[in-house]
Amino acid sequence: MNFTFAELVQLIFSGVALGMIYALLAFGYNITFSTSRTLNFSQGDFLMLGAFISYTIILHITGKRLPPSWLVWALALVAAATLGGLLAIILQQVAIKPALKTGSDVSWILATISLGIIAKNVAERIWGTDDYPVRSPLGSDLWSLFGGKLNIDPRELMIIVAAALIMVGFEFFRRKSLLGKAVTAVAADKDAAALMGINVPVVIAFSFIVSCAIAAMGGVLVGPLTFVSASMGALLGVKAYAVSVIGGLQSGLGVIAGGLILGLSEQLTARFVSTGYKDTPGFIILILILLLKPDGLFGKAAVKKV
Amino acid sequence: MFKHLLSLLPVVAVATAVSAQEPIKIGIIGPFTGGSSPMGVSMRDGARLAAKEINASGGVLGRKIELVERDDTATNERGAQLTQELIESQKVVAIAGFINTGVAKASVRYPLEKKVPCIINVATGIIVNEYFKDADGKDQDNYLFSISLNDTIQSDVIVSEAVDKKGYKKIAILADDTNYGQSGRGFVESELKKRNITAVYTGKFKIKDTDMTPQLQEARAAGAECLIVYGIGPENAQIANGRKKIGWNVPMYGSWTMSMSNYIDNAGPNGEGTFLAQAFIQDAAKSDKQKKFIADYQKEYKPEEGRIPSAMSAAQGYDSVYLYAAAIKQAGKAEPAAIRDALESLKGSIEGVSTTYNNPFSKTDHIALKRPAGQLGMIKDGRIAPASK
Repeated sequence: MNFTFAELVQLIFSGVALGMIYALLAFGYNITFSTSRTLNFSQGDFLMLGAFISYTIILHITGKRLPPSWLVWALALVAAATLGGLLAIILQQVAIKPALKTGSDVSWILATISLGIIAKNVAERIWGTDDYPVRSPLGSDLWSLFGGKLNIDPRELMIIVAAALIMVGFEFFRRKSLLGKAVTAVAADKDAAALMGINVPVVIAFSFIVSCAIAAMGGVLVGPLTFVSASMGALLGVKAYAVSVIGGLQSGLGVIAGGLILGLSEQLTARFVSTGYKDTPGFIILILILLLKPDGLFGKAAVKKV
Repeated sequence: MFKHLLSLLPVVAVATAVSAQEPIKIGIIGPFTGGSSPMGVSMRDGARLAAKEINASGGVLGRKIELVERDDTATNERGAQLTQELIESQKVVAIAGFINTGVAKASVRYPLEKKVPCIINVATGIIVNEYFKDADGKDQDNYLFSISLNDTIQSDVIVSEAVDKKGYKKIAILADDTNYGQSGRGFVESELKKRNITAVYTGKFKIKDTDMTPQLQEARAAGAECLIVYGIGPENAQIANGRKKIGWNVPMYGSWTMSMSNYIDNAGPNGEGTFLAQAFIQDAAKSDKQKKFIADYQKEYKPEEGRIPSAMSAAQGYDSVYLYAAAIKQAGKAEPAAIRDALESLKGSIEGVSTTYNNPFSKTDHIALKRPAGQLGMIKDGRIAPASK
């Protein structure tokens, strides 16, 4: 097997970028799971909607061929996050709240999946079923290092940096701010938190808003790298779920480790074993973790009180 | 007075016969949504344009042509189902269409069983002359015709350029895992074999794969001097983009699907200079017929920047309807078996957009386009140009 060091670095870099996208979505799963013990299984479709919002905004302001300015891009990011947050309120009211009242596990799973399917159909009606390119404010030219030996894709770098900032930023917010502490309190013990005067439903709604807004921002980040299409979210959503299980559904930043494991294993397997098997090792790891450490690598045991 | 009226009668009778006569139904099937839609929509619009022109000039045998359009969404099962529906419920007398090789292969048993002529106007991986025998090797009535540039020709166009002309010996092949990609890979490999060459690397990818870095790195590690790809627009674009990413600038050749707008747009500058097999190039239109076709298409459908999403598909969709019109006229009736017999013995020369059809089909050969129809194109300034000799 012959390969150069630069190739290996490049593969690792792409794997890390992929892993950070998984981690970002998985982080969203974790936030809502910690407060409400429910997940939004349409996270991938929120990512897709965010990507389409950025596509539309950039297309209308900047046009098809030019990279957008940072200002336009920031506008797209804020718009995507806002839309994600607004839709999250609907999702939370329609799919989660009734389920929490009845205590039924099946209903929120089905309801969030259904909303994802609806979102995909709506996107197909509005934007069609084709794949569309989105330009990144960094352009698509590669950054050449070491005299052209190593080429770095700036869009991948942006994913890594932005995803890390979003996740670390939220962790910081959770630890330092009052609302953040309320989230932690509800995650730790819902009943005790309620007794201490925390408005639990509001905290749960807030966690969904944050989770969906993060997913939509993820769409703005991956769009330039993968093309935007109505079906782009489905597989990402599933893989991110695997990542949050590997990292641990209660693990906070543990999802980053989970994301990196899946992203890197995909890239390295595709290169050194076979592209046909690229998803296999990640899911073998998932099964092993479910068998040996069901709460994930960094998870705390989720106690289910009866 | 009475005599006058009587003499008018036949005229009235003929007039009512024309308007009351049922239209001739022709089925049009292809993907009008999804990643293959630039081809499907262009084919359909080309066919619509032809039907409109024919009907405006009085129709065929005094009857209008009615196109019954079906979106197969590029899925095999759906294609098969809709083909059956076209034949059995819609009672079409002929079918034109099929963009995706897999869909075509899954669907053609209905026209064969029900003996309804079917012109495959875009799909390139299905070799219709193989259907003179059935699966058991027995002779069967072949109702399938093709006016596409099939993959045996395309792979020859590509390989003769890369190997015979440019002299590359180390070749990497990347193909998607659909029927189209894998049968195309097979044709490329057999063209290479004729020249005593085995590919140094053969890779696979899936529809919707977004990162081709590993395959490309492996191809480069194998020492490939050029890259031949067999896939459709979006994934081919990811290959062109990935090639740029790893800084690997070997020439890239591909089948005609690289003419799709979603390849050219999604690859952007990274697609510039890539080569592809073509039968008809919009910007190289020469004959008046071709120029008029392009002008009419642009006027009717207003494609973005005047660029037909897939010009070859549009031309072939248009031609297939005209071939049916000619066959029906020659047969004197719009019945499936008669249309097939007429197609096999078409008289005169029919000027189409993609080529001029002189005896395009015979009783033993149902493939209209031959090797000389294939030419090499390249992507230049976001459009397709003939590759400079």
